[in-house]
Amino acid sequence: MTSPTLTRRGLLRGAGTASVLASCAKPNADDASNAPAVSDATAPAEIGPGAVSVAFNLNGKPATVQVEPRVTLLDALRIDLGVTGPKLVCDRGACGACTVLVDGRPRNACMMLAHDVAGANVTTIEGLGAGDSPSALQAAFVRHDALQCGFCTSGMLTSCAALLQRIGPNGAKLTAQTVREAISGNLCRCGTYPHVVAAVLEVAGATPLSKAAVTP
Amino acid sequence: MSPKLLTLGFADQLTSVEVDVPAGEPPPWDGVSSLEVVGQPVPRIDGHLKVSGQAVYTFDVRLPGMLWAAVLRCPLPCARIKSISLGRAEKAPGVKAAMLLAQRGDRIVFAGQDIAAVAAERPELARDALAAIEVEYEALPFVVDTRSAAKPGAPMVHEAAVRTRKTEGDEPSAATAAGSEGNVRKMPDSRRGDASKALKKAAFVHEASYSTQVQTHSALETHGIVVRWDAKDKLTAWCSTQGIFSVRDELAEIFTLPVANIRVITDFIGGGFGAKFGASAPGTRLGFIAAELARKAGAPVKLMCTRHEEHVCTGNRPDSYQDVRIGGDAAGRLVAVHVRSIGTAGIGTGAGIGRNAFSVYTKIPHVLVEASDVFTNAGPGTAMRAPGHPQGAFAIELAIDELARTMKADSLRLRIAHDEHPVRKWQFQQGAERFGWTEARAKSAAARGKATRLRTGVGVAASIWGDFGRGGAAQVTVTIGRDATVEVKNGVQDIGTGIGTVIAQVAAEVLSRPVESITVRIGRSEHGPSVGSGGSTTTSSVTPAVRNAVEQAKTQLLALAGELFGVAPREVVWGPDGTASGGGKSLTFAALCKKLPGEAIVTTATRAKTFGHHPMSFMGQPMQQIAGVQFAEVEVDTWTGLVRATRVLAMHDCGRVMNELTCRSQINGGIILGTSYALLEERVLDRDFGRMLNANLDFYKIAGAKDVPEIEVVLTDVYVGNNSTGAVGIGEPSTIPTAAAIACAVYDALGVPVRSLPITPAKILAALGRVPGAGVPT
Ligand code: FES
Ligand code: FES
Repeated sequence: MTSPTLTRRGLLRGAGTASVLASCAKPNADDASNAPAVSDATAPAEIGPGAVSVAFNLNGKPATVQVEPRVTLLDALRIDLGVTGPKLVCDRGACGACTVLVDGRPRNACMMLAHDVAGANVTTIEGLGAGDSPSALQAAFVRHDALQCGFCTSGMLTSCAALLQRIGPNGAKLTAQTVREAISGNLCRCGTYPHVVAAVLEVAGATPLSKAAVTP
Repeated sequence: MSPKLLTLGFADQLTSVEVDVPAGEPPPWDGVSSLEVVGQPVPRIDGHLKVSGQAVYTFDVRLPGMLWAAVLRCPLPCARIKSISLGRAEKAPGVKAAMLLAQRGDRIVFAGQDIAAVAAERPELARDALAAIEVEYEALPFVVDTRSAAKPGAPMVHEAAVRTRKTEGDEPSAATAAGSEGNVRKMPDSRRGDASKALKKAAFVHEASYSTQVQTHSALETHGIVVRWDAKDKLTAWCSTQGIFSVRDELAEIFTLPVANIRVITDFIGGGFGAKFGASAPGTRLGFIAAELARKAGAPVKLMCTRHEEHVCTGNRPDSYQDVRIGGDAAGRLVAVHVRSIGTAGIGTGAGIGRNAFSVYTKIPHVLVEASDVFTNAGPGTAMRAPGHPQGAFAIELAIDELARTMKADSLRLRIAHDEHPVRKWQFQQGAERFGWTEARAKSAAARGKATRLRTGVGVAASIWGDFGRGGAAQVTVTIGRDATVEVKNGVQDIGTGIGTVIAQVAAEVLSRPVESITVRIGRSEHGPSVGSGGSTTTSSVTPAVRNAVEQAKTQLLALAGELFGVAPREVVWGPDGTASGGGKSLTFAALCKKLPGEAIVTTATRAKTFGHHPMSFMGQPMQQIAGVQFAEVEVDTWTGLVRATRVLAMHDCGRVMNELTCRSQINGGIILGTSYALLEERVLDRDFGRMLNANLDFYKIAGAKDVPEIEVVLTDVYVGNNSTGAVGIGEPSTIPTAAAIACAVYDALGVPVRSLPITPAKILAALGRVPGAGVPT
């Protein structure tokens, strides 16, 4: 266990990731509740409980927030930075509505702490193209009506953007099954899935290089 | 009224029908109108905002000085409050206001009921403060299980009589309760002929019990409201609602304010499905709490439900336990149906089973449908996408299939023979061919005969709904400016169907202008009265009003052109690009608008009461009966019980299709919701503690991308002659038959029925007798 990452689950239990693992083996590890929030050696020094500042790159620009260590990345984005594209729906990693890219990888922002992304590149839906200059993927979402109420759309689209980036030049080989896999963590109550799959397949086929598909 | 000859009907069954069209209505669009924009798959006009995170939902509203509220909820299913105090909550860090929502001595009737609330500078500080509120409860006897609650001697949920709560999401009806006995409250019967007598004489009788689960709406945006007092007697509310004007009226009533002093804003809403009518949710007084905290704190307050709250106190689809008896005669006809159902809407009312058993197969001469509400100590049920209907459809359709097997009858032919709706009969027939029904049935029968491990099965079920579109309710204002801008305004909310886009299409159609040139303003009360999005009435209530208002504006433009050209207005020709010409002269739309004597033309119109219902009325009432049929295919692993819906063919009527693209989206949504209901979703209450065990989205399963069948949608344009655009609703009809068709398909695959939703692997194995030591459940 060498990750210096604070996790929300670990923190909320008053124990770091290492002691969470330990508690699996030792049922009585609850006694460790006095342990510092981060207990492995490579972790940064203990912070909090008051607000502490954290800096990262947000949609290509530097951002700094002053938040308590318990504040999730999602809350920091939405409440402190006013970036409201990512949504809070389940608050426990089950729905994908809060999906953002952290160093290019799709992550559930409700399951990370703001302090987890210190120094990282965070991209939200707002960073994937704006209304007046949409990316090819965004335009395809609109064309295929891959959205209804739109509340899942930010997360859904971010997952799809990550998929297109991941497959790179092999877009033409993308199958519906792979798209469904990629969005299997994104719930949509309105039932947009078939249109989402159609939109992604079209973009993948039309633009073999995913770069063009996900950046404006 | 003036009688007009309209071309009505569908497919190859178009006929001339005389319809009494109210004075002032433009000639309704019918089967021979050729439209350019209406019906086309026009992408949503606000799509770019939703794909870029720029759409601002209630949940996204941020106001200067805004506070966050949190509500303390009762952890017990039934309790008396022995003592209660805000304790240190008022002084807790960041807290600006706190209030009690229950008093000493109050009897609390479900786990999740409002107890107290606070507003603080951040959401986590509000939640922290709740922990400082001191409440002592005396636990009281409770009951959360429907069948136990219906028994004599069960703990009483309510001590006094209960009023039926009606919302715009309820199917319009005159239902009044007939008094209660214990926790059981009977609803009015639906009856024709004498079912008991006919069943006694029937050659074949099938009798079985069917049950359905409680489903929660699980809209992704939870219920929520932001309230800002703009003056002592004036407020603005941003609300995640499907009924802007019911929010306004409720707040006006609570705070005794004139409605004109309340602004309600719902620019975007993250789903509703029937649970979001009003400032409050069915089981929590959100509107009152937010507004009162805002008043106390002197600052705007945002109150959004957590996912847990959303599951327990904002409504649900009630469950049902239906005892069905159905009989057939020696000649292969269905003769009688008797359904007796109980279901729970928790502490609320409305656990009916819809119209399917009574009103689809109307050639069955003897039918009796009885239904009762059973009170339980659980959050109130409320309207959910086609209230009652999926429950009712499931039981009656599966029962028909089971009887058909005894009668050695073809279940599809049996349905067609007993249905009188010409559109639905056509859908059954066309659909069967398209779906490959006969071949699929033969294939599943062969696999059953060989007892193979992997089976497929197919089933079919019907949908019924009424054209409840309302006359006079939506007032649409159209402004055509001297600068040739066209603005259409109405205070309707877009629940996700894309009503704004359809509004633009209708205006574009009438004026022969591009869709992009129409500005649509919706989602705010100040844009003028409108309907709630309930009963599948939005498109049919709003689009005729749009057409009528735009036609009036166009009439003024034609008069102006006539004047300029020196000809009579009716001699002016309106060209395909909106150019007016006559008397050898012509003016483009922009040039004509420039000649307006005033700033702009402003017209306001509504739609008339429905004036037609060709080819089939709903329940003998003067409104169209909306028809639909769905075929489903499932794949079942008989060793593991794993079941998947693999294919759905949906044949639907929604009058004139207004936008093919968004219409398909709605139908996809209905099917996916129905699939989820059939196979995955179930609210689980702990009988011993009376609390919901899966009030989240990891253990309350809703369909994900991999649970979705291949969907084919066939839209049947039906020209009804009901209003000036011919629109009727589709949101609800499209979810009614899905679970029933899937259940019938599972029966076809296995040869034994699973009579309980959701159809889980465990139930499949039990039905196959593959659970050691367990009998076959009924
Ligand atoms: S809100 Fe983060 S996964 Fe659901
Ligand atoms: S579009 Fe409404 S939840 Fe996906």
